[in-house]
Amino acid sequence: MTSSGAIAAPRKNRKPLNLVEAGLGVWGVIVFIFLFAPIVVIFIYSFNSGRLLTSWDGFGFQGYEAMIAKPAVTSSVWVSLRAGVLSSVLATLLGTLAGVAMARRPGKWVIWFSALLLFVAITPEIVDAVSLLPWLVFLGQDLGLGIFNDGIVRLVVGQSLFSTAVVTYIVRSRLVGLNENLEEASADLYASPTKTFWKITLPLAMPAVLAGALLSFTLGLDNTIVASFVQVSGTTPWPVYVLSAVRSGLRPDIASMSVVMLVLTLGAIGLVVVVLKKAGDSATQIARTLAG
Amino acid sequence: MSRLRLPRPILAFPAIGWLLIFFVAPVLLVLWFSFGYKPGVFQTHANDKLSFDRYAEALNPTFFTTFWNTLWVGVAGTLLCLIIAFPVAYWMAAKIPSRYRGLLIALVMVPYWTNFLVRTIGWQIILAPHGWLSAALNWLGLIDGSLDILYTRSAVLLGVVYNYLPLMILPLYVAFDRVSQDMREASKDLGAGRIATLLRVTIPLAMPGIIVGTLLVYIPLMGDYITATVLGGAKGNMAGVLVASQFQTAQNWALGSAMAVLLILLILVSAALAGLIIWLLLLPFNRSRRLVIGVAK
Repeated sequence: MTSSGAIAAPRKNRKPLNLVEAGLGVWGVIVFIFLFAPIVVIFIYSFNSGRLLTSWDGFGFQGYEAMIAKPAVTSSVWVSLRAGVLSSVLATLLGTLAGVAMARRPGKWVIWFSALLLFVAITPEIVDAVSLLPWLVFLGQDLGLGIFNDGIVRLVVGQSLFSTAVVTYIVRSRLVGLNENLEEASADLYASPTKTFWKITLPLAMPAVLAGALLSFTLGLDNTIVASFVQVSGTTPWPVYVLSAVRSGLRPDIASMSVVMLVLTLGAIGLVVVVLKKAGDSATQIARTLAG
Repeated sequence: MSRLRLPRPILAFPAIGWLLIFFVAPVLLVLWFSFGYKPGVFQTHANDKLSFDRYAEALNPTFFTTFWNTLWVGVAGTLLCLIIAFPVAYWMAAKIPSRYRGLLIALVMVPYWTNFLVRTIGWQIILAPHGWLSAALNWLGLIDGSLDILYTRSAVLLGVVYNYLPLMILPLYVAFDRVSQDMREASKDLGAGRIATLLRVTIPLAMPGIIVGTLLVYIPLMGDYITATVLGGAKGNMAGVLVASQFQTAQNWALGSAMAVLLILLILVSAALAGLIIWLLLLPFNRSRRLVIGVAK
């Protein structure tokens, strides 16, 4: 009796605390269910054998079969992949150089440049979209720069802005965390600045560069709003195809395509996490990187 | 030696140039178009006569209704995100053993990396008048008949809260993660109760994260276009849809530009106003805290 009483006493003290903790836990689980509800629904409905996406008919793979059979679907995925790769290459190039400059050549300009990146990152996409459309028309038609009438070029331009800001940010924070000793040693040993960049700075920044490239690729794959404004008919990326289906009627193959693209995106993101983990980032740092 | 003579940001020049050409210049062009007009049915814009007429034209009753609607959804959505995310982020940072935290963060990331449009279509399926949720609510006896939420402002509100919630959870999690367990225990040892610790230690230290999260949700939410298109219908219209329709269907770039400029102004002014109000409300608290520190010294 006495021993059980002795154990019960501190438990009694902790009881209100446990209640709060239980409440937090329950709330956490509810929110996670909320976060996954529509994704689970899309996954289930991608096996809807009916004609309309929203009304469940029966289980079947017709959605996936239709997805492969429809040229409009396969070509939109192909357009997205091409634009995603190209915009990722471009954003990685611009962002890596800018990130290195921010980390290794600090000065007053960094404040101005950060402000510009911040504006690029927080401007609502619809504003980017409605301003890029007239601008690309102006460049392509009024100035006669034919390259800006090309569908892929337009998509790449539209996707590159936000991605460049993201890559710059990731590369900068990686290099800021590493001190400049190695680069100084390299310079002391008579390596030219170019050689130091290739042999020392770039390898140091590599995990961040790879993570940035993969993130840009997934951002490019997902670009919907800007793409729907600047796209040229004939080069429709997959989210814009989905958006037009929202207006004309959703079929199960839309869900099937979405599942395939989600798997692709998550695969790329998984790679990012592996790359960052290998480079020694903690879970919190990875979260910060991925959330931009 | 030659390195010193190069301008310091030289490696950033390509990025700066790219962003000037494809971000700054287009925005300035829209500002320029907003002072022009639409000359005829087949032309989108003209700028030979400059005026504020497009702004006057934009400020009509439909526009005010839509902007008021946008502001309402923006403020309510951001507050709901904050209220929902706060306990979750705190739970993840303070109550979950550290080896499971990475997994939970990854789980928050999955919806964030699912295409925005696809997630929203998922809600369209759930909220359908004769869909799952409708059946479940009927079974529970909470509603009778079909669920009439799709294509209303409530559906848009639900959609934006869902879509932007990860953007609130992640910065809050990072902020709470920084407020270490030691801090909270020190506060407890010094005699503060749970609520006092929360209000005087945890929240003030997490404030930067709370502000970042609020802005990360509020700004894109105000410019939302997809959620309103998929879940809003005619009743749940938001300003982003209105701006888009001027460019896509009405082909009136001048008026659309004026609306876009007004939307940006609305976002900036309302965010600044909210910041000012919160600062004024917290002013007495900040003063008293400073006073206490002064006495202690």
